[in-house]
Amino acid sequence: MKQRITYVVHDPDDFNPSQLHLSPTNDSFTLDSVNAAKEHRLTFGLSELPQELYRVLRQCHELHIRWASEKPYASIPPYVSRISPGLHAFFTPHKGSPAYVDLLCPLLKKVFGDGLKCESPQDTFIGMPILSERFSMSSASQYYQLLPSLKDLVTYIQQKICATSDPSCQTHAASLLSATYVDIDYDTISHALVLNVFWDRAPDAESWTETIALCQKADHIEVGVLTSEKAVDPEDLAFSGFLTVIGKDSKPSPTRFSFPARHHPLPSSAPPTPPLTYTTSFRQPTGLHPTLLLSFPSASLTPPDETCALHAYLTLPAALFIDKYQLSDPLFLSSQHLTSLRSISGATDLEAPVWVVPEWGSAALLELAVPASPSSSNSDSDSASHSRSSSPPNPGPDDWTVRIPLHLRYLSPNANASGLAPVAAPWPAVFWACRGEEGAKMAASPFDRVNLGYEGLFGPKTMFYHVPPAAANVSSEVGARLVEEIRVPVLDLDQAWYVEWGTAVVVGLGTLWVFWKLFEIVRRDLVGGTKVEGEGKKAQ
Amino acid sequence: MIQFFSRPRSVFSAAAILRAILLIYGSLQDAFSPMKYTDIDYFVFTDAARFISQGQSPYTRDTYRYTPLLAWLIYPTTWQGKWFPFGKILFAIGDIVAGWLILLILRSSGKMPMDRALKFASIWLLNPMVAQISTRGSSEGLLGVVVSALLWAVLSRRIQLAGLLLGFAVHFKIYPFIYATSIIWWLDDEHVHGASSNQSKTLYSRVIGFVNSARITLATYSLLTFMILNALMYYLYGWPFLQHSYFHHLTRIDHRHNFSPYNTLLYLNSSPTGKSTAKLESLAFIPQLFLSAVAIPLAIAKKDLPSTMLAQTFAFVTFNKVCTSQYFLWYIIFLPFYLPSSTLLQKPSIGIAAGILWVSGQVIWLQQGYRLEFLGISSFVPGLWASSILFFVVNIWILGIALKDAASVENPRAKTIMAHKIQ
Repeated sequence: MKQRITYVVHDPDDFNPSQLHLSPTNDSFTLDSVNAAKEHRLTFGLSELPQELYRVLRQCHELHIRWASEKPYASIPPYVSRISPGLHAFFTPHKGSPAYVDLLCPLLKKVFGDGLKCESPQDTFIGMPILSERFSMSSASQYYQLLPSLKDLVTYIQQKICATSDPSCQTHAASLLSATYVDIDYDTISHALVLNVFWDRAPDAESWTETIALCQKADHIEVGVLTSEKAVDPEDLAFSGFLTVIGKDSKPSPTRFSFPARHHPLPSSAPPTPPLTYTTSFRQPTGLHPTLLLSFPSASLTPPDETCALHAYLTLPAALFIDKYQLSDPLFLSSQHLTSLRSISGATDLEAPVWVVPEWGSAALLELAVPASPSSSNSDSDSASHSRSSSPPNPGPDDWTVRIPLHLRYLSPNANASGLAPVAAPWPAVFWACRGEEGAKMAASPFDRVNLGYEGLFGPKTMFYHVPPAAANVSSEVGARLVEEIRVPVLDLDQAWYVEWGTAVVVGLGTLWVFWKLFEIVRRDLVGGTKVEGEGKKAQ
Repeated sequence: MIQFFSRPRSVFSAAAILRAILLIYGSLQDAFSPMKYTDIDYFVFTDAARFISQGQSPYTRDTYRYTPLLAWLIYPTTWQGKWFPFGKILFAIGDIVAGWLILLILRSSGKMPMDRALKFASIWLLNPMVAQISTRGSSEGLLGVVVSALLWAVLSRRIQLAGLLLGFAVHFKIYPFIYATSIIWWLDDEHVHGASSNQSKTLYSRVIGFVNSARITLATYSLLTFMILNALMYYLYGWPFLQHSYFHHLTRIDHRHNFSPYNTLLYLNSSPTGKSTAKLESLAFIPQLFLSAVAIPLAIAKKDLPSTMLAQTFAFVTFNKVCTSQYFLWYIIFLPFYLPSSTLLQKPSIGIAAGILWVSGQVIWLQQGYRLEFLGISSFVPGLWASSILFFVVNIWILGIALKDAASVENPRAKTIMAHKIQ
């Protein structure tokens, strides 16, 4: 097992090298009240893993698991890339052994909880759109599910991976409960499983005060304590700080480095302009055709560069879907402040009820329109009238609101819920996608993050400037979630007891009534035929 | 007003102008508003036509569930730009041709004076609902031409043409197969040759007599047309053609809310949480098909074929497992033949009551549908269920009136025969 731990200090003025101590024996490293974000990367050899994990991984060509917390958080370079909260899996099967692929879903359920809706990769996973057959870097298929907590993963690690005699392993596993996001990566080429855990700040405290100790004498642990610097090249991110290899170094060594980065923070905005953020909500009432609203402070919608376009990447549970045909008319798109539906994959059937959809849902990439000129957008009658007529109370008149029309599938009837069923949708990932020059070098970055679902839909030289959710600024707010929940009308089983026999009786009586009418006609014909002749005779 | 209905030219011009205005208005609304006038189905057809022009199957377009002939028919829409409304113009012309056929039938078989015939033909020609459906680009109106041509061919004893049209209509939309029984039953010697069938016959000669040449011709021509078209389409587009044009209609669940009385039941029983005691909905086709394809034709087809076809269609739509307002067009085409001698016009109080109930049945349902679809209120029970049941009851009552009326129509020829006897 290899470990790398990186702290990125929130406020460089607040940090002093004296807060770092290496023990005299060089086998432990202590931080004292360091206010920072933390990334902990663990690399396992396959032989270090339990048998059941190994058996599944052997059948994977690639497996990338991404989990993000529902709690809003503030990002810090280089940890600026974002995904929708929940559990994502990106998977490519190993060629030649498709039968074992059926082990993946049972394993995911075992590790992340029985509540996952996962039958098999063939049924539940959705195909990833392939940008280019030859150069495609993304996995073949994709899975997603809302998952508020990693408590099942913690239990799994504590019971299956930690030795019972190792209390520090138990504690480390439990620390996942406070993680902001977790990445798990495996591919056949590296033959290693990488677990990458990120905390945007120290849980339950202002700062990190902790000691990192070697488990065994022969081990090495790399620890970096960094502060973000201004890079010379706008495509680069730059850092300075101290690197220490525990077990090897005798003191933290100062360092300064920069690298081309795929993921960037937004350029800081000039003082009167608020920083660019976005808010997600549903237009009320939602009905059966909910409209997802993304609101931005319109003055801040200035692209970082003229090659940039604003995008939103949506992961929609099967209950919700996008009608790609509705999003093909330029007039309609622009009336919703959309530019185009760039990509859609997964459960896009327009008619199926939710119970016949085997897939987890669908994923869509939308290019969003921005005000023609951000400063003049307030006087733009179109945007003003729209935000007045259609927005929920939170977006103000200075907001630019993008409307994404969605549709609901029929959900199963339920009981004891007054005919309403909850449907939750995560906030999308929102970013500017810009053309860069140094694509190939991005992958060499020590902090590069790929397999997020959307980056594979762009060319390899694309840079992403991530827009944080508005709630990230008020992350202390209790209960704030990056998930929107709506109540969907369904048939109320408490009241539906009479539907079956009621329909049968009414249709039955209706049929009998028509038969009676027909019978009267036929009878009158049989009897009446002679009557008419009789009348004829009388007239004679 | 009287002047207006006395000349065919004025009525047909008005019908054409009405459609032209709607077409122009529609293209303006499409060009300048994000809310489209054009029906969503029209985009399905034109997308399918585009796939055909690219050498692909029309079924590449999701929700294209029609014969490939429809996409071929509007092939010029793939020439882009000005050609986009070609299909709508075609459907609108179809409407007017159907109106002209209605007029022909009323004049010849109904022996109606011109102004009266034009008034009744206007139920179709000047009906804003009909004009709107076809100019929005829905193909339901196209069936109006085929069905009215079928009726005209039968009534004017063009049996081979009638067979061709019947086969084509069933290939196009399936449901017109119900007309096969009424037309076959109607084509007895009396209707074909004007010969009286009153002479007493043995059972054997009656059976032999039933298989007359007109019936054989109709059956042969319609079956051949139907099978040749299907074979050709299957040859061109394979399994997806059968799947989407035919089998889809057998396997679809129709769980989404619509006017049908079965609707809530289908939603309940198709879902995994619905605990069905007996799969009653799987028997739904029995009353529907028995009434519309067997009982109604046998009871009244020989008395009044157009009114029988109205009653059949009305029963078919009323008892169907799915029902939307486009389906009403299927029977509106027959109203000009039925209404002149109907109770609904003879006794205005009944006619007005029927009209109000028919419309308000839909209004009540639509209000529940609005509560569900736009306000997100769970109005499935009792709201939507009760209003669809109410609408069903109203329809059954009207069907009863229509059946009684169709049966009591005095066959003009029977009258003459009778008159001869009396003399």
